[in-house]
Amino acid sequence: MKTATNAGRLVTQVLAGQVWPALADRHGYRTGPDGQPFVLPGMGGVTLGVHCGDPATGYASDHLEPGASIRHADPAANMAVQFLSCVGNEVRVETGAAAGATGHVIGQHAYVLADFPDPVAELLTTGDRVSIRATGQGLRLPDHPGITVKNCSPGLIASMPGGTGAGGKLEVHVAARIPAEAIGAGVGMISEYANTDLMGAYEGLSGDLSLGLESLRVGDVVALADQDHRYGRGYRPGYLTIGVISTGQCLLFGHGPGPSTLMSGPAGEFRLIDDSGANLSAWYHGDAWAGPR
Amino acid sequence: MSELAPVAVNLLGVVGHPGFGDSPYRVDADGRPYVPAGDGGIVLGLALGDSAFAVAADHAAPGACLTHPDEAARHALVLYACVGNQVRVTTGPAAGASGAVLGKRGEHSQVITVFAEADLARLRPGDEVSVRTCGQGHRPAWLPPGVTALNAAPGLFGALPVTVPRAGQPAAEVVVRAVLPARLAGNGLGRPAAGWDLDVQAGPGGPGGPGAAGELRLGDLVAVADIDARWNMGYRRGWMSVGVVGHGASPLPGHGPGVTLLLTGPAAELGVREDQAGPPAISAALLQLQ
Repeated sequence: MKTATNAGRLVTQVLAGQVWPALADRHGYRTGPDGQPFVLPGMGGVTLGVHCGDPATGYASDHLEPGASIRHADPAANMAVQFLSCVGNEVRVETGAAAGATGHVIGQHAYVLADFPDPVAELLTTGDRVSIRATGQGLRLPDHPGITVKNCSPGLIASMPGGTGAGGKLEVHVAARIPAEAIGAGVGMISEYANTDLMGAYEGLSGDLSLGLESLRVGDVVALADQDHRYGRGYRPGYLTIGVISTGQCLLFGHGPGPSTLMSGPAGEFRLIDDSGANLSAWYHGDAWAGPR
Repeated sequence: MSELAPVAVNLLGVVGHPGFGDSPYRVDADGRPYVPAGDGGIVLGLALGDSAFAVAADHAAPGACLTHPDEAARHALVLYACVGNQVRVTTGPAAGASGAVLGKRGEHSQVITVFAEADLARLRPGDEVSVRTCGQGHRPAWLPPGVTALNAAPGLFGALPVTVPRAGQPAAEVVVRAVLPARLAGNGLGRPAAGWDLDVQAGPGGPGGPGAAGELRLGDLVAVADIDARWNMGYRRGWMSVGVVGHGASPLPGHGPGVTLLLTGPAAELGVREDQAGPPAISAALLQLQ
């Protein structure tokens, strides 16, 4: 059955942001796993043509951020945008050619990432202002007090299959299971900001780099083995973290497709159900997303 | 890099000071707020050879962390400084004292320096220190072809328990306190090893469990398996990286004793042997602290 939540006790705050530019420095090259220098797009601005449900890897890109990358110009207000925006929250375009269109948050990556259907994204550009209906921080699952929920809108919990199952475990459908060795940059950081890069997903590079994660898709719900993200991000045997892949292809070594954290707790309090359909696209791509993909 | 002669560059480091935001608290891995002590600046009462878990502190280094007010100059200082480089205090009550580089910290870009106890006691935040940086790009002639050296003063390996390959043997061998699995690698992954240390999520009560990882001491050599640190640090099966423990444990999840990496290469060319009983490889005597 669907798990109970305290959603009725959460507030919604309307936050402001704008589509933020891609950033670089004049010595633009970064370094891949084999020492290869590269200049590749992916972070910042509006990245077109890659959405939830699409492969996360296989692009000439680094730190691919699907859709619009959003910040607030004031540093303190920006941290509020980064901390309070939750996966599934509605994002409304307020200015520019796409004004009035809506999309949704798919994760954080030092930008808040908002996915829009391509006809909207085509009209959206750097500098356009957006508003975010932020709700979700403070969400609890009363029947699963050992599990911490974060960065997760109540609507996402309601949409996800699974729920409180036999024996009182929280059943979560996951598209992939991630071994602890894959955890890269982002370990040691707080878990309400940016995401956890997964190594071992460098498509087309040598086998000694692979951890078998080349088939991840943007929007996949994944389970991270032995990771405790209740108060940050660290290794803890016997814990489990559920995340959603919010960023894609990386060539920068030690980086890779990244899950934003949704839940974390003792592994024994979860029951994972392998389900290749466990992807944000299944719950957020309504009529506006119709058409060839 | 070829066997070109390294150059030395004198750089200015400034003895740092701890910093806080509006809140005194950080949150530990169990969700408990704590006030981080010992994170940066001058730390007294902690010495090379002490357990990395000896004190109730956060990332505490056994000496003084150097920084620089200009960000670009600070990055250069941290990138160029190598373990074993000599430093000399040029201002303040400790002027004239000499010490050495023990390691580096990626967070806030800092160089960890160590001094004799009496000199450290006279050191003050803001004192200027000249760092004779030398070693990046240097490739010792004995290195197996696949192995890369980094962050090491020329000559440092001659004072460490490193066995150079004999004729017909492919591998060097390094005696280390512990060989840790890649899953314990923490903060530092995805960052450049020339400017950032690799925290290991290990400790007596920590996630790595009991055993050798819980016995790490400041100055120990440690190996991390399946980590390639030639450029950014990341996972590569069959690889080995070796470095020195430069700072102690942290209550933060994903953090722990920090390893400044010195050697990285295929495990077939960079052998490691655990020795849980011997003294730390990098000692006050080795660094000529007096």
